[in-house]
Formats: sequence, structure tokens, C-alpha cells
Amino acid sequence: MRLTLDRIGHAFLGRAVFEDLSLCLAEGEVVALVGPSGCGKTTVLQIASGLIDPLRGRVQRHYRRQAIVFQEPRLLPWMTARDNIAYGLAVAGVPLGRRRESAERRAAEVGLHRRDLDKYPAELSGGMRQRAAVARALAIDPEMIYFDEPFTAVDVGLRRVLQDLVIGASAREKFSALFVTHDLSEAVRLAHRIVVLSGRQEGLVAERVLDGAPGSRDDGAVFETVQDWAKDPAFADLFDGGREAA
Amino acid sequence: MSTVLAFAGWAGRYLWSGWAGAAGLFCLAAAWQAGHELYGSFILPSPLETGREVAHLVHNPAFRHAAAETALRAGLGFLLSVLIGTAAGIAAGYSFAAMRLMRPIVTVILGVPPIAWIVLALIWFGANGGTAVLTVVVASLPISFAGGLEGVATRDRTLDAMARSFGAGSWMRLRTVTAPHLVSYLFPAWTTTAGSAWKVTVMAELLSNAGGLGGDLASARALFDIPRVTAIVLVVLGFALFREYALLQPVRDRLEQWRHAGLPWGVKR
Repeated sequence: MRLTLDRIGHAFLGRAVFEDLSLCLAEGEVVALVGPSGCGKTTVLQIASGLIDPLRGRVQRHYRRQAIVFQEPRLLPWMTARDNIAYGLAVAGVPLGRRRESAERRAAEVGLHRRDLDKYPAELSGGMRQRAAVARALAIDPEMIYFDEPFTAVDVGLRRVLQDLVIGASAREKFSALFVTHDLSEAVRLAHRIVVLSGRQEGLVAERVLDGAPGSRDDGAVFETVQDWAKDPAFADLFDGGREAA
Repeated sequence: MSTVLAFAGWAGRYLWSGWAGAAGLFCLAAAWQAGHELYGSFILPSPLETGREVAHLVHNPAFRHAAAETALRAGLGFLLSVLIGTAAGIAAGYSFAAMRLMRPIVTVILGVPPIAWIVLALIWFGANGGTAVLTVVVASLPISFAGGLEGVATRDRTLDAMARSFGAGSWMRLRTVTAPHLVSYLFPAWTTTAGSAWKVTVMAELLSNAGGLGGDLASARALFDIPRVTAIVLVVLGFALFREYALLQPVRDRLEQWRHAGLPWGVKR
């Protein structure tokens, strides 16, 4: 197991977010964590990646290199795209020449043109920034990548391209990934397994293993799966917009 | 090669922008000339007369010595206050408790008029260069301190979290995430400190009779040598302009190049 969350619980200012949550990720497995907004998906991700400590429970990480792709690109505005992509390598102490070379290779993989690499983030479009953020995560050859609703702010066409990019990279490089999203069809496209986090502090309420490898499912199959699950009580929270108002 | 060319391009643009600055200075000189023609040489010597007096003064070894003395004191005071103030400010910015404790202290120190520090320093150290340096340090240290503190306190914590997710240590994060953001807080503080360092040094010298340009100013005043007074003022201004546009601004411009990148064409510089 690359990652094991053992009965973790967390609360903000005394208000419980979730309790007794356990989750395992195998090597090369992509798990999508879905749930209505505000249910604590990002908190789970932050605990798993070590950005915050859980109040209760234990986290075991059996990998050396991790990367996070955040909802916003979070590029450093004072560094060029090239240096931003190489940031994780700079942290790891990789020499400049190899850093640049690896950044350029990863940039090409995510569809960033070479001439864009000398630009600052302010000069790039939103989609290009998110591509750079994905390239930055891939550049360190991670064994584990966390995705925190990374493609919510990009348009539909680009979202597909970026999803395909993640599917391709995970098939090729065998990293494990925890993919947080509130978009069920995105989860069905990308993941080997889907877990649902409750909107009522009940922890994980459902788990579904998907057939076949990610990327092998066509749009019809994805659509049908989502339609089926819409009637499933386990997914009711996701489709119930009035929950927060109630 | 391309980096050399890019640097040359930047340096050329920076020097070229000097024309606009020179035009502003000449407008000021024109107003000065108008004042001179209204009130005569005894009240306000003309720019030309003052220039001649400066040319005459710079050949005087005693004056050169005095100017060097003042420059040294102002420079030393500036360096000390900037180094101590910035370091302490950055440290305080990371700690909420220190920030809460230090903020009122900064306000108190800033509230004491520099002239009061001069009097106190005169009593403690006697009439020498130390008085001027100490006054500069005490009077301008809180400005750098506040700059460093505000800069660190307002750093982008989401970028900090990004750096931590890659395992960046605190030194790496300070260097790559906090420092570039700090620059925009520190430079205004440093410019203000540099400006007040000169003013306070000359004032302390004048009051403590500790030589330097302030001492020269005191004797020129006693002799009613008005062209000499304006000449000394002009020399001090020359130092201030040099410091600002030859030392501080180019560094800032280089460090903040990424800001220009975000501006649309036409409003770049």
C-alpha cells in the first residue's frame, strides 16, 4: 500500500468535519474522492499529503516523492514557466542543467510550447497555467500525486485534454493518485476506484470499483454509469443541491 | 549571449528613462531661477551661482573631507538600521505574539521626534559622529522593521503550502516564496530610510557641531554665506539622487521585472 489512512478524524474550531475515515491506495491506483462541496474532501487530501495533521487517527505514507496539483495553479508569479515547472526539482536539489532539461520535457508532454517557457505566469492563459502546474507535479517523477479539483476552472474542451493527460501519465508512470473532485463523470473517466465522502460528517459512505482501465471507457459508458448512480441512495448527497440550505 | 543582450536592453531603457527625470529636475531649477529673480541673490542665489559655488567647494579638501564624513555616517546609519530592522521585522512577521508585542513599540519609537534622539544621544555620547549614527539608526530602524513585518505577514500562504507540498524547508520557502514578495514592502521602507538617514545626519551634525556637512552648514549660517548654504543643500541633494537612482532603483527594477510582464502593451514603462 502506498498510502494508508487509518481511522482519521478532523475538526475545525470544534466542529467535526469527518470521523473514523479509513482509506488505502495501492501502487499505481487512481482513487477518486467525490462528495458535495464543503464535506471535507480537500481536508482529507491535505491530511493525506501531510499539509495538516489530523486530530485523530494515523497516516502511513510509503513513498518518497509526492506532488499536489491544486485547484488554482499556484505558480510563483516571479518565476518563469520553466523555473516554475522545475520548482520541485529545485527543492530536491537537482542541478540547474538537468532541472531545465526535465522541465522542458515535461512541458512538451503537457502541451506547453517551448517559447512559452520564458514567460511569467501573468503572461500565460488560465489553461496554460494549469498545464504548467500539472507539468510541475510530473517533473519530480512522483510516486504519489494528489489532485485537488484541479480542472474545475477550465473550459470543457481543455478539461478533457487535461484529464486525458493525467490518464496517460498515470498509465505510463504508474504513480498512485488521489483525485478529489465533485464531478462524478470526471471521477468515472479517470479512476480505478471511487469513494464517496458524506456531506453529513459520516465519513466514507460508498465505494465503487470501476471496470477496466481508466481511459478505456468511452463517453457512453461514462454517461450510463453516472446515470445509474444518480438513482443510488449512496450518491444522493452529490445530487441534492438543497442540502446546504437545509 | 541572449542574457547579456537582455541586460543591455534593460540598462539602455533605464538610462533612457533618465531624460524624463532630468526634465522634471530642470522644471524645478526654472522655478528656483524665478524665485531668485523675484527676491535677489541675498535671499535666494540663482542655480548658476550655486553651481559655481559647488564647483568651487569641491576643490576644497576640507569640504571634501566633511562631505565624506557625512556620507560615511549616513551610510553606516542606513546599513545598520536596514540590517537590524529588516531582520527583526522578518522574524517578527513569522510570530503573531512578537508582532503584537512589537507593533506598539514601533509606534512609540516612530512617535519620538528625531530631534529628541539627537539631544539624548548628545548627552550619552557627547558631540561626535556616534551621535549622528545612533540617531539615524533609532529614527529609521522602525520603518524597515515595519516593512519586513508587513511583508512576511501578508505573504501568500497558498504558495507557501505549495512549496511545503514539495518538501521545501523554511530557508527555501523564505528565499523563493516570501523574499520576492517582501521586496515590494522593503524597498519603499529602504528608500524612506535612506532619505531620512541623510536628513537626520546633517541635522545631528548641525546641532552637535560634530563636523561633516551639518557643521559646514552651521558655520555658513553664522557667516550669512547664503550661496554656500544653497551649495551644501545641492550637494546633499546630489547624494540623495545618486543613492536613489543609481543604487536603489536599478536593483528594485531588476528584482521586480516580473511585474512588468503582467502589464498590457503600451503601459509597460
